[in-house]
Amino acid sequence: MDIKFRHRARLFALIGAAPLVFSGLAACTSNNNPATSAAAEAGGTAATGGTLRFGVLDAPQYLDPHEAETYPESIIADNITDKLTWQDPTTGKLYPWLATSWSYNAKLTQFTFHLRKGVTFSNGTPFNSSSVKANFDQDARGDAALGIPADPTHWTGYVSTDTPDPYTAVVNFSQPNAGFLTFTSFSGDNDPGFVAASTLAKSKTQRAENVANIIGTGPFVLKSFKYQQNVVLVRRKGYDWAPQPLQHSGNGGAAYLNEIDIETIPEATVRTGSLESGALDATLDVQPTDEAPLKAEGFQILAQTVAGQNIAFSLNADLFPTNDLAVRKAIQIGWDRNALLKGVLTNSYKVATSVIASKVPGYVDYANTALKYDPAQAKQLLDADGWKVGPNGIRVKDGKQLVVKFLGINNLVANEPAYELIQAQLKQIGISVQLSVLPIPDFEVQQAKAQTSWNGTAGNTSRDDPSVLWQSDSPLVGNGSYVEAGAPERQALINATQAIQNTLDPTQRNAATKAAQDLIFQYALVVPVYEPAQVIAANKDVHGIVFDAQSRNLFYNTYISK
Amino acid sequence: MLRYLAGKVARAAFVVWAAYTLSFVLLYLLPVNAVDLLFNPNEQQVITPAVKAKIADYYGFNKPAVVQYFDRLWAALHGDMGASVQSGQPVWAEIGSVIWPTIALALCALLLAVLIAFTIAFTASYTRQRWLANLLQSLPPATVSVPVFLIGLILIQVFAFRLGWFPPMGTTGAAALVLPLITLAIPVSGPIAQLLTDSFLTERNSPYVVTAIAKGGTRRWVLVREVFRNASLPALTIAGIILGNLLAGAVVVETIYSRAGLGRLTETAVGTKDIPIIQGVVVVTATVFAVANLAVDLIYPLLDPRLKARIVTS
Repeated sequence: MDIKFRHRARLFALIGAAPLVFSGLAACTSNNNPATSAAAEAGGTAATGGTLRFGVLDAPQYLDPHEAETYPESIIADNITDKLTWQDPTTGKLYPWLATSWSYNAKLTQFTFHLRKGVTFSNGTPFNSSSVKANFDQDARGDAALGIPADPTHWTGYVSTDTPDPYTAVVNFSQPNAGFLTFTSFSGDNDPGFVAASTLAKSKTQRAENVANIIGTGPFVLKSFKYQQNVVLVRRKGYDWAPQPLQHSGNGGAAYLNEIDIETIPEATVRTGSLESGALDATLDVQPTDEAPLKAEGFQILAQTVAGQNIAFSLNADLFPTNDLAVRKAIQIGWDRNALLKGVLTNSYKVATSVIASKVPGYVDYANTALKYDPAQAKQLLDADGWKVGPNGIRVKDGKQLVVKFLGINNLVANEPAYELIQAQLKQIGISVQLSVLPIPDFEVQQAKAQTSWNGTAGNTSRDDPSVLWQSDSPLVGNGSYVEAGAPERQALINATQAIQNTLDPTQRNAATKAAQDLIFQYALVVPVYEPAQVIAANKDVHGIVFDAQSRNLFYNTYISK
Repeated sequence: MLRYLAGKVARAAFVVWAAYTLSFVLLYLLPVNAVDLLFNPNEQQVITPAVKAKIADYYGFNKPAVVQYFDRLWAALHGDMGASVQSGQPVWAEIGSVIWPTIALALCALLLAVLIAFTIAFTASYTRQRWLANLLQSLPPATVSVPVFLIGLILIQVFAFRLGWFPPMGTTGAAALVLPLITLAIPVSGPIAQLLTDSFLTERNSPYVVTAIAKGGTRRWVLVREVFRNASLPALTIAGIILGNLLAGAVVVETIYSRAGLGRLTETAVGTKDIPIIQGVVVVTATVFAVANLAVDLIYPLLDPRLKARIVTS
């Protein structure tokens, strides 16, 4: 329920567009989406200069990268800051960025980063280990006097950052935190990109007052911000410290584009019309129904699913009737996921086949096992558990009807139709679903009392790392399914999700991730629906729009051929 | 006269204060916590009460409601409405950054709406073609019944996307104002045209018109010189309704044409329960209403000598 990522969509990193791409780069970023190779072919020679006019739905409100919330805010944060590492969107592998190398202790409580030399903020001050310490301290702890909130989700157990020398930073945690390593590349909300000491010293109001107060090291610099209108980014001169796999020397190492003009356009038809009429070069937040017509008109549709916990209903194990395992199981297998492909989702999206997206390392496909559509089995489970079909088709047990209350957010266009499909199909096996799909503020109100009033709450969390299971589902952290003391699976779930945090050995970590997914489905705690996606439509002249691991866009490699 | 003026100004000040107070009470009664909305809903269970308390502290949300009310009112009287919870911007800076485009849009739309309304009213009373008069008289209800967003989407499709005469979005330049102002002027012209048409027709049947025509005045001369002024006066009394229509329409128009403006700011602030911004908008809007009504109260006696006599003697 990443409202933040509301509009994420999916990918296909058009990386190979740059003229001097290392051949290795193509290998590590290529994927089998035809959009990628097509764009790469169109590449040829990258043109320097020009302005990319890019449409988005949400108006960016607050440009401090550490508090980037909506998708446009994340994109801006990504392009004006750099991070320690870069995560490959396809393989999940980490590559050097501002850190040239890194190591960690066996317990995964201490991470050492060796920093790249010669990196500067756009105000000329150097980036070094003090910058890392100052940024991480404020991210993890917040600063109440400045009005800066802490981010406890990603920084659980943060102790300190030591700076043994200007180019070495040592980050200490009180508990194992395997997920921290990929978090150093994270591009979602609470972006860990670095800002200058002068920015960190300013209050929230001061940071908001003037874009010149937001100073990063990234390939672009904030030029202007007109609230509700547009944000203009301008190329950072002298930049040459891009993530290793994206690095090009086409423009002395700096970005190709002169400027990026991010235009807020709330109306879907106006975004599409502006693209068609040439007022925009590309737009995010493309409606599923607009994809096919735009493609037919010759526009590129670039999409990437969002890695993390999928759009899914977390079932409330602490509330009648979803405290009954048979009911949860029936909800898990009692509706046909593939029916989502007819009418609700386009090819840019995917039907969910596990709790986590198929790109997340350690993902296991449950389409033909735990998530196989089996209405007969679902009915049998309910019958055996004493839920008999009542006069109106709704099952009854001990005089109580089988009615479940589901809560969702209306921020993604596919949500409501997808949930309604589930509602209609579950009715056929005798489960009545009362569905409320609400705007974010109203959702928040209900979410606060979800434990006692809602049987299922739907949302997603973006993070291309199996630790997202620990973050969202551990009874000690997110506890999305309200697995409380006394629940038979509680300790097992705590242990299984913590195990993901305890190791970075790929074999062990994949095994731990599988065990956690198995356990979640064994107890039917999460009912996955679909993999959300970020969808961009662009005209034929736009090349090299990169989707990162969280499906945010980096415009370092982007150019316009004319 | 001075007493009349003082009374009207006091009433205007009371309206602004009452709007401020009512908005505070309503916002306080909402079940939503503005601080909750600063965090990802998926992380609500992870955010400790201590973290939220610190932020609530920063914005002063943790004090008793009465204390908050007087703190804020006192600061507001000194011109400090606080800062937006979402964006961190001071309220006046945030409102100031979007209010001018809305004022430009509203004023231009008002001018056009008045022009449309007078054209309809005048033509409807001037024409001798019964079908034309009927057609014109049915226009005002029609303009109010067609949704603003539909008008906006049609205009943008035709004149921005197909013909390319005007930009489809943005707030910069006069060209960007054309389609939005037409879109907004159409529904706003409805009530004015309705009122004017009615009063033109009423006035036209008045004894003084009969006298003027009997004395040899042409139909047009009588309409322009005699009826026009008298029939226009009642239109001033619906200034409040017109302002309301302008602001309500601005929300939709600004959204369709991707314009910065007070309407969209309000929409966002309400959606995120951004209390300082909502209160700032309420104060601005209430002030505009109060000042507009005050202006009408002050101008009316100048136009209608009967009222002037009453004020002077009072």
